[in-house]
Amino acid sequence: MPLLKVTDLSKVFYLGRNRKVVALNKVNFEVEDGEIFGILGPNGSGKTTCLKLLLGILFPTEGEIDIMGKSQFDVEAKEKIGFLPENPYYYEYLTGAEVLSFYGRLFGMSKGLIKDRTEYLLKLVNLQDTGKLSLRHYSKGMLERIGLASSLINDPKILILDEPTTGLDPIGCKETRDLLIKLKEAGKTILLSSHFLSEVERVCSRIAIFHRGNLLTTGVLADLLNQYQAENLEDLFVKTIETFDSAAEKEKSETAAVQ
Amino acid sequence: MGKVWVIASNTFREALRKKTLYILLVVALVAIGTSRFFSFLAAQDELKMIKDVSFATIEFFGAILAIFTAIGAVSGEIEKKTIYTLLSKPITRRNFILGKFVGQSLIILLNAVLISLFFIGLLISKKAVPDIEIYKSLLLIYVELLMIGSITLAVATFATDAFNIIFSFFLFIVGNLTVYFKQLVDRTENIVFKGLGEMVRTVIPNYENFNIRDQVVVGVSVSWKYIGQTTLYGLIYITIAVLIGIYFFQKREV
Repeated sequence: MPLLKVTDLSKVFYLGRNRKVVALNKVNFEVEDGEIFGILGPNGSGKTTCLKLLLGILFPTEGEIDIMGKSQFDVEAKEKIGFLPENPYYYEYLTGAEVLSFYGRLFGMSKGLIKDRTEYLLKLVNLQDTGKLSLRHYSKGMLERIGLASSLINDPKILILDEPTTGLDPIGCKETRDLLIKLKEAGKTILLSSHFLSEVERVCSRIAIFHRGNLLTTGVLADLLNQYQAENLEDLFVKTIETFDSAAEKEKSETAAVQ
Repeated sequence: MGKVWVIASNTFREALRKKTLYILLVVALVAIGTSRFFSFLAAQDELKMIKDVSFATIEFFGAILAIFTAIGAVSGEIEKKTIYTLLSKPITRRNFILGKFVGQSLIILLNAVLISLFFIGLLISKKAVPDIEIYKSLLLIYVELLMIGSITLAVATFATDAFNIIFSFFLFIVGNLTVYFKQLVDRTENIVFKGLGEMVRTVIPNYENFNIRDQVVVGVSVSWKYIGQTTLYGLIYITIAVLIGIYFFQKREV
């Protein structure tokens, strides 16, 4: 049984009386227990909108989201989720330990547990020596790492990461990738949104390619490479998007011809 | 309540880090501190002047703080994108608004208490014993400030900051002029305008009810019954405003 199931999920933004943007169009996918599921797509493809819908930050226009048998708005479902937003912003006057403590308290964790988890996580993301340094003095990479630590404060079952390596140097990227693999081995289920193809290729069990709000394809990478006769993920990515764009262009010109 | 308190304490802490509180505090203290000098200009004695200026200062600067803290409480979280991490945690949107309200109420209280202590200290330095009437007036001013804060917070859940600032200050001014508004409505002969005027007068918070400083300054006692009724009136407005805030925030996409 999947831990997370998305059924016919659509999101339309209305920008005025006659203008609307379809950010997500009848998307269906499932994330299985213990896998790293990669969401790929160019900028503006609907990846972040999809994640915001999964977290109950946005409301779906249509469709359903099932997180371990609960709705995305259910507090019980959120207790089992860890989330790292793209370019994470935190309260800059707090220190790294205070940020972790703040989010830990929102999970209703005890003081002792928060203290233990904070020590463990700061060490895990290599920020144990930052001491009383407030976040306003953190570099972009350090912010990304404290974001990752805060997404793990509740020891979540599902981890949702939106572009976790943005702003990290090559060593930071590698450390994050290694951490993701370690977390998967520890039984975590990870939903990873990224436009870094190499990152997805190295860590994900299955992938989904988004483009213009549509889910073009989903499955095990090896199977998809075979199906699309692609040499690698980059080739697969380009082929699926070009196929979709040419089909859309053809449909548009046929509609124009009929009119 | 635990999660509401976590959000409230963070809101309080964040407001403490902002310069707004300290600037308003310094200007308010300077205004009160210099009030005694104006007694040479006015034909009133020094103590009356100190009391009058102090009550007005606590109300006016408290209103500015209440409005800006309430606006920052919602739009600040959205602008800084900290709202994403907050709402992805196991809290409801109701928790969020209640936490913000409690947090801003604490910062308004801190501001009012600090200015009041300075004011009372000034009275004591003039060998005047602050009587219970002064505390009654301070209590009503605090309830009024909570009303202003809660209404601004409610509007912040669905309107832009610019609209909210204009609206909240407009309401603050109009709410303090309800007596004149009533006179205007009473004089109107057109039934439609009269009906509309009555409706608007009922909806607009009557901040004038909370102003008992004229009585306190001249030494007239205000009954506890009036204090109780006015406080209850304020609490009803606050409850309605917070509920409206929760309603709109539950529908808001961020």
